[in-house]
Amino acid sequence: MDFYLGMIQIIGVHTLLGLSAYCVLLTGQVSMAQAGFFAIGAYVAGMLTVLAQWALIPALGVAGLMAGAVACAIGFPALRVKGLMLVVATVAFGEAVRLFFFNFDYQVARGEIKMGPHGGEGFRQIRYFPEHGWSTLDVALFVWTVVVLVMAGLWWMDRSRAGAVLRAVGEDELAAQSAGINITAVKVSAMTVGGVIAGLGGGTFAHYTTHIEHIQFGVVLATFAIAYPILGGLSNVFGTLLAVIFIQGFLVEGLRFLGDWRNLLFGGLILLAMNLRPRGLLDAKAVAALRRLFPGGKERSGAQAHGAQ
Amino acid sequence: MFKLSAALVAAFAVAGLTIAVPAAAQERTVKITGFGAKTGVVRVFGINSEAAMKAAAEEINRTGGVKLGDGATGRLTVEFLDDRCNAEEGISVVRRIASTDAFVAVGPTCSNVAESLFGILQKKAGDASDTGLQFPIIADVAAKGGLAKISEWSFRNVPSEFEMYKALFAWVKTQHPDLKTFYGGVEKDFAHSNATFGVMKAQAEANGYQVLGNTEWLLADTTFSTQIREMKRANADIVAIGAHPASTCGALKEMQRQGVKPKLLIGLTSSSSIETLQGCAAQAEGIIIPTSFAPVTDVAKKAADQVAKFNGSADLHSAAAYEVMFILKQVIEAQKIMAKPDTVAADRVKMRVGLAALKETDGLLGKIGRTPDREAIKPFLFVHAKGGAWTVLHTPAGS
Amino acid sequence: MDLLDLIDLVQSIADGILFGATYAMLGIGFTLIFGVMHKINLSYAAASVGAAYASLLLMTGVSVPAPVVFVFAALCGGAIGLVVYVVCFRFIPRANPLATLMSTVGLLLLIDEVIVHATDGGAKSYPALFSDVIIAAGAFNLRGDLMFVFALGCVSMVVLLLLLYRTRLGLATRAMSQQPLAAQLCGISVDRTNALTFVITGVVGGMAGAMIGAAIGVLSPLLSLPLTVKGLIVTVIGGLGSIPGAIIAGLLVGGFENFFQFFRGVSERDLYVMLLLFVFLVFRPGGLFAPAAGRD
Repeated sequence: MDFYLGMIQIIGVHTLLGLSAYCVLLTGQVSMAQAGFFAIGAYVAGMLTVLAQWALIPALGVAGLMAGAVACAIGFPALRVKGLMLVVATVAFGEAVRLFFFNFDYQVARGEIKMGPHGGEGFRQIRYFPEHGWSTLDVALFVWTVVVLVMAGLWWMDRSRAGAVLRAVGEDELAAQSAGINITAVKVSAMTVGGVIAGLGGGTFAHYTTHIEHIQFGVVLATFAIAYPILGGLSNVFGTLLAVIFIQGFLVEGLRFLGDWRNLLFGGLILLAMNLRPRGLLDAKAVAALRRLFPGGKERSGAQAHGAQ
Repeated sequence: MFKLSAALVAAFAVAGLTIAVPAAAQERTVKITGFGAKTGVVRVFGINSEAAMKAAAEEINRTGGVKLGDGATGRLTVEFLDDRCNAEEGISVVRRIASTDAFVAVGPTCSNVAESLFGILQKKAGDASDTGLQFPIIADVAAKGGLAKISEWSFRNVPSEFEMYKALFAWVKTQHPDLKTFYGGVEKDFAHSNATFGVMKAQAEANGYQVLGNTEWLLADTTFSTQIREMKRANADIVAIGAHPASTCGALKEMQRQGVKPKLLIGLTSSSSIETLQGCAAQAEGIIIPTSFAPVTDVAKKAADQVAKFNGSADLHSAAAYEVMFILKQVIEAQKIMAKPDTVAADRVKMRVGLAALKETDGLLGKIGRTPDREAIKPFLFVHAKGGAWTVLHTPAGS
Repeated sequence: MDLLDLIDLVQSIADGILFGATYAMLGIGFTLIFGVMHKINLSYAAASVGAAYASLLLMTGVSVPAPVVFVFAALCGGAIGLVVYVVCFRFIPRANPLATLMSTVGLLLLIDEVIVHATDGGAKSYPALFSDVIIAAGAFNLRGDLMFVFALGCVSMVVLLLLLYRTRLGLATRAMSQQPLAAQLCGISVDRTNALTFVITGVVGGMAGAMIGAAIGVLSPLLSLPLTVKGLIVTVIGGLGSIPGAIIAGLLVGGFENFFQFFRGVSERDLYVMLLLFVFLVFRPGGLFAPAAGRD
């Protein structure tokens, strides 16, 4: 049972990571910096609960806000460029954050043990969960409460004008600008929201792995962050969730019986998925088809499918 | 009439056998699960650990299996799971193992996985307020200093680099009294290399060498010209390199290019593997590395052959995995572990108690001591690279 | 800072610039794909390293002269380039740049895994040409093999520029990147042109991979990711699509790396390289040799 709860925790945190990239992808920008915001969230939350003895929720809140603030600051210069340049700029920023933590040393002595981030060796013993009696089920429920709140927030935003504005910027910047939308404000806001979500995810990540180090927050994690929304489809938040379940649940754990072949299949299946479903696993057509399954959905789905394409 | 009595005798014989056979051949399969990295640059460690565990299991089964708590014989089988050197996956794998009837797990390969893994274990055994996992884990390869003391459920059978380099520098002092100065090269972003280099430097100082400084590079670095130039300027007698094979070879090749030839070259324990020789045998000629395994004793030679049969190679890391299987046998028998589906929780506690109570275990090079910190004190020797192969240079006394 | 330190600094920078020749070679291929074809291929560095690994197969058991190995690496690179095109770009509609981005990521992971499975993750020694040639210039030593790589880079640049501007294939490639529909209407075969261009960039990549292996002395699976990042940085600083820009940017990045390392050590070196890139993007987003302004 613990194993499945552990999987649920992992899927939850990775969904947060994916959703943070999803936000930015909606505006048509590929951001490889989400791993950097994730790292900021992880270190800040870890330091607050371990060194300053804060409770978890305020620590996570501050972690999210700090990551969001950095995202906002980065957003302005970074979003002056587009396309590949933005990919490179965000890779550079993500790496800069990782390297910052590689050099970051802030230890506080507790008795005879020194606690805190220790440069290349990382930040160990973030044991808030076991020390406060949280069981695996408690942690899973907590993670998923956060995830559900974030997903609900994003879903609601998608249905409101804000979502339409975001997607408009994503589809055609020139047209959006002509319609009077402030492109920079929209893109920076999306980046900030993405940063906050990544910070929340990172803070949780630090607590359930109990040890964080700079290597974990590199280009590979950043790539996973954008892989989830791209693989899942940008139509709605459930696409990202589906992609996380596909990668973490199926590719990583489900294919274990294949032994060595699992890793070869990892890249291969992503390739295949992109070739077969270029708009993602849960693209607009799939969403429309799903809607038709529900009563009253037929008329709505018809219009939506036409509109979305 | 004769036929009837013959039939009756036969019937009785069969009946007797059917009753006798289960009582005599009481055998159970005991599955031991190992886990480690079978992916990425460190893939070879997982392959070797798996081969070593399977070889040891075969040897144990061949010599009568394991005696279980109720007198039955246990036949060991080994399963090995891949954690891809990733902390989240390592935690997942151990939770998976803990959800089966397993009462112990052997691993991991990577120290960063061990950090996270030992962190989610219950810190103090019996602490009811700590909801950490209660499952004993014994590490074969993860070598970063001080990991086992993270939790009372975590144990290790890895060599003590402190002891090895302490002995090495003391011995070098006796063999080469003319050498005075020390300089180092270290892989800064790899925790294990960094920590071990700290040990190397400290031991050099403790043995009276003048430390002229050290130069640094990163694990994935491709150019070492600045660093080797610093090394050249220092012009030390002894150069110690705290890095893994890939960057060790890069640095050694640059040293050759710049004509840097220290009088003595010392390397990192993990680099005493075939990888270094595949990368730069010519440049690594003469490098001295302390190791806790070489096929010098009869048991070691036999183990090396057996591991090779399972497509692995025996080096200090996989030898530790081989030894761990025998440690487990020792504890299973001492604690009378039952290995039954309904005794799982009790077996895990017994395993922890048993591992904690060990004072000495059998190693391939001799007896291995155990510390209160749940670490191992392993016998070791010094090897050096000669002609493209690792040969034993010196076996310290009492090792 | 005394004279010795100054000499060391200049030597360091010189070494860095020379090693940057390897980044330059990789950057040429990157800038062709990204700048001329407008396709984001994140698997390029991995494919180049993969081609170098493949060329090692030639050496199993037999001692082969280094140039032959390099040529074989280039050929393998071409073959892998074709595979990249077919698997990542051929079947995905043009309107889905995100899908092609992700598919090249999938291929990067696949190539890395194949390399690790074939070699069990260990470092493999790579043959080098002119590795013992050191050119002494006063108090400084310059690596002969890296000067060879630089020369090779220049030759590649000339050949590629000739290809792009003097041949029909080059014309077709440029036409396709500017106006794909119109090019098709003119009878240019999308498939053939793209495939051929990928093969050519693959050949350049294979050569770059071989040169990198020769310069470092060993090939390791650890190389793909850092080289991808460096290749991207070089492409952006040099200007998308500009081959001379890629070469100069490669040398610059190599030089700056060592410059930062000399002053701030290896832990902070990459941090400053990233900041340098950031500064460039803010003040000169077009790169050193910004492409002629046109419809984006």
